[in-house]
Amino acid sequence: MDILLNEEEEMLKKSAREFLEAECPPSLARDMEKDPLGYPPELWKKLADLGWLGLALPEKYDGQGLPLTHLGIILGEVGRAIVPVPLHSTMTAALTIAKHGTEAQRQETLPGVSRGATILTWAFTERDPRYVPESIQMQAVARGDSYILNGSKMFVDNFNVAQKCLVPCRTAPPSSGKSGISLFLVDTSSAGISHTPLVTMAKDKQSKVNFSNVRIPRASLVGKLNEGWTIVEHMLDLGTALLCAQMEGCARKDTEMATDYAKHRIAFGRPIGAFQSVQHMCADMLMWVDGTQLLTYEALWRIDQGLPASIEVSQAKAFGNEKCEAAVRYCQMIHGGIGFIMEFNQNLWFRRVSAWTMRLGTTYDHRGRVARALLDRPGPVRLGESQYESAPSR
Amino acid sequence: MNFDWTPEQEALRKEVRDFIRENMTKRLGGEMGEEMEEGADRERSRALRKKIGEKGWLAISWPKEYGGQGGDRMSQYIVEEEFARVGMGVGGGGSGAGAILGAGTEEQKRYFVPKVIAGEMSFCLGFTEPQGGADLAGLQCRAVRDGDFYTINGQKMFTSGAHNATHIYLMARTDPAAERHRGITILLVPMDTPGITVRPLWTVQNDPPAPPGTTYGMGRTNEVFFEDVRVPISCRLGDENMGWFIGAQGLNLDRVGASRYLISVHMDEDIINWAKESDLGGYSVKDDPAVRDKLAELWIEAQVCRLMTMRSMSIVQRDQDFTYEGSAEKVMAPEHGVTASEAISQILGPYAQLLNGSEGAVESGIYAHNLMGAFQSGINHGSVQIMRDQVARRGLGMPRG
Repeated sequence: MDILLNEEEEMLKKSAREFLEAECPPSLARDMEKDPLGYPPELWKKLADLGWLGLALPEKYDGQGLPLTHLGIILGEVGRAIVPVPLHSTMTAALTIAKHGTEAQRQETLPGVSRGATILTWAFTERDPRYVPESIQMQAVARGDSYILNGSKMFVDNFNVAQKCLVPCRTAPPSSGKSGISLFLVDTSSAGISHTPLVTMAKDKQSKVNFSNVRIPRASLVGKLNEGWTIVEHMLDLGTALLCAQMEGCARKDTEMATDYAKHRIAFGRPIGAFQSVQHMCADMLMWVDGTQLLTYEALWRIDQGLPASIEVSQAKAFGNEKCEAAVRYCQMIHGGIGFIMEFNQNLWFRRVSAWTMRLGTTYDHRGRVARALLDRPGPVRLGESQYESAPSR
Repeated sequence: MNFDWTPEQEALRKEVRDFIRENMTKRLGGEMGEEMEEGADRERSRALRKKIGEKGWLAISWPKEYGGQGGDRMSQYIVEEEFARVGMGVGGGGSGAGAILGAGTEEQKRYFVPKVIAGEMSFCLGFTEPQGGADLAGLQCRAVRDGDFYTINGQKMFTSGAHNATHIYLMARTDPAAERHRGITILLVPMDTPGITVRPLWTVQNDPPAPPGTTYGMGRTNEVFFEDVRVPISCRLGDENMGWFIGAQGLNLDRVGASRYLISVHMDEDIINWAKESDLGGYSVKDDPAVRDKLAELWIEAQVCRLMTMRSMSIVQRDQDFTYEGSAEKVMAPEHGVTASEAISQILGPYAQLLNGSEGAVESGIYAHNLMGAFQSGINHGSVQIMRDQVARRGLGMPRG
């Protein structure tokens, strides 16, 4: 038990921070909000050259096989510098393929990801915004050597630039259960796919994707037919934990910017940061992002160790959703009217953190999952111990 | 980063847990802890402490030559946590013997530390005065040097345990002319020195007495008066007028660790386990959606408290100093305790007002007593407001007001 970063992790964090401070000024994030791709391909290539894209992928597929916690540290820095790259969606899908995909699927996607040639994403939500099995109603019907996909998915990240997308569908008759769900790796250029960009608070690239009689090969199935829910749940947990890391890094930078502003902004003849009311806001912000970070690291560490982590993931997201939002809200307040003005940078962080709190499970969703783990299984709970005697589900 | 215990530490935890199950009760733990009251069976307590000492579980991370075990801090934490669950301290703490280890003379270390570990000596903490405690550096209790002696005059307040302690770890002003942080000296004063008077201050937990395991359930604290109390200069810890700086790290350590963590969070575990087993006239508390959401929220905050404690322990284990981490933990955990006790009172409704011994009381009224006591953790050893000042200044470099 030593939950501080070790030397290697500190070095990784430091070098990532230095690189991104040099390569990714806030103006880049601002420019990419208006860019049709939404990311700068030359920066993406540099991330590949640095080894970040293959960092947590197996060496067999040109990755480095490093722990997931290292990727979490990188995503924290990416959130901090609000780097406009499709890293989160690509990693969430790539790590899912690495763990659950067929050998052919891995060969076909992962080396390309490591090289920076392949961008990935995943889709889940249709109409019901919860991350529960009944939200999935899109159909995939087997026909000969193919599956035919019909339906639509909302809030798909970076679909405009992704080559492949993981798509969970119903392969058994419509139901609300966990069984009958299958996961497919779909080529985004398949005939019958169209997408409509969404106009989002973070001005990132999310799409509504329509699948109209989309024919994909049988070999697109990830995992077993009708038994995809476990994989989907794992993918969502992974994506949630990584998003928490990104959200925490972003909220922490915002906290530092607000603190810095409070040290220099003079009112009533002194820096506003000399007033205890402002100091205590800043202290709360630091404790909130620290709390989010600690919960997130524990979740990532558990996933990396192959331990059950659904409770820890939900803890991190439930807490982070409320506390990172509260932190960036305080940052806005400390900046006064400036926080409302587009040409100042503060809002870039505020809009992203706020948007991320709404993705991959609300506070209520995640607390619901924690409550089920605590209250709906037999036997007493004990602080500091695993609560997984019977694994909870979404 | 590593969030796991070693197999040896897991085995240690199990062994300690088995020992506690066989040998201890919350009542006994309370008697052996800070809450030792009149009528406690001291012989039994002493024998049990001896037995725990023979196991090698007292002050594991402290040096062997002074009665510790020379072991690792995380193992000590595990033992502390298990014993804290039954209200007993086995760690050694920060102020008192902990500070003596850091700043005492060889003679002081040999005299005090082994006896404190064995439970034969104990310190009450003479910090707060009637004028206040948050502004500790403003203390007025005077110690006047007179050759090889100090003569002490003044008053201390909220001196918990003064009626049982053998010594007081006293902060007194030795140089009123100096800048206020630079005129304070720490004296280790035997409580039986002539001129010391201890008067009880009865707390809201006194009548009826809070059940064992209550978050700040002590029925009594004290005020302590010093009238021409004369002690030799060998009682002084560290250099004259340097007491503020000598005491700082001890105070930091008082703010963190197993006990501070558990008193703030054990009620989360307790109420969840109660809800799983119980109903109120057919009303299943655990199936109420509002309650479920609140219990999950509390549990998650408790995890943040746990992880902040682990962060502090990781820093201590690496032999590093806190920047702001101890202060952050001392905000998060005490405020959580208050939040939790208030939330539980809304979960149980009118039952949460019933005190120990009342007809209809839930779990001996512990939740009512917790509600009355929990805020204490946010007051003592530096209030949460003072702690926030420190987080802002040390953690974020914000200017003084």
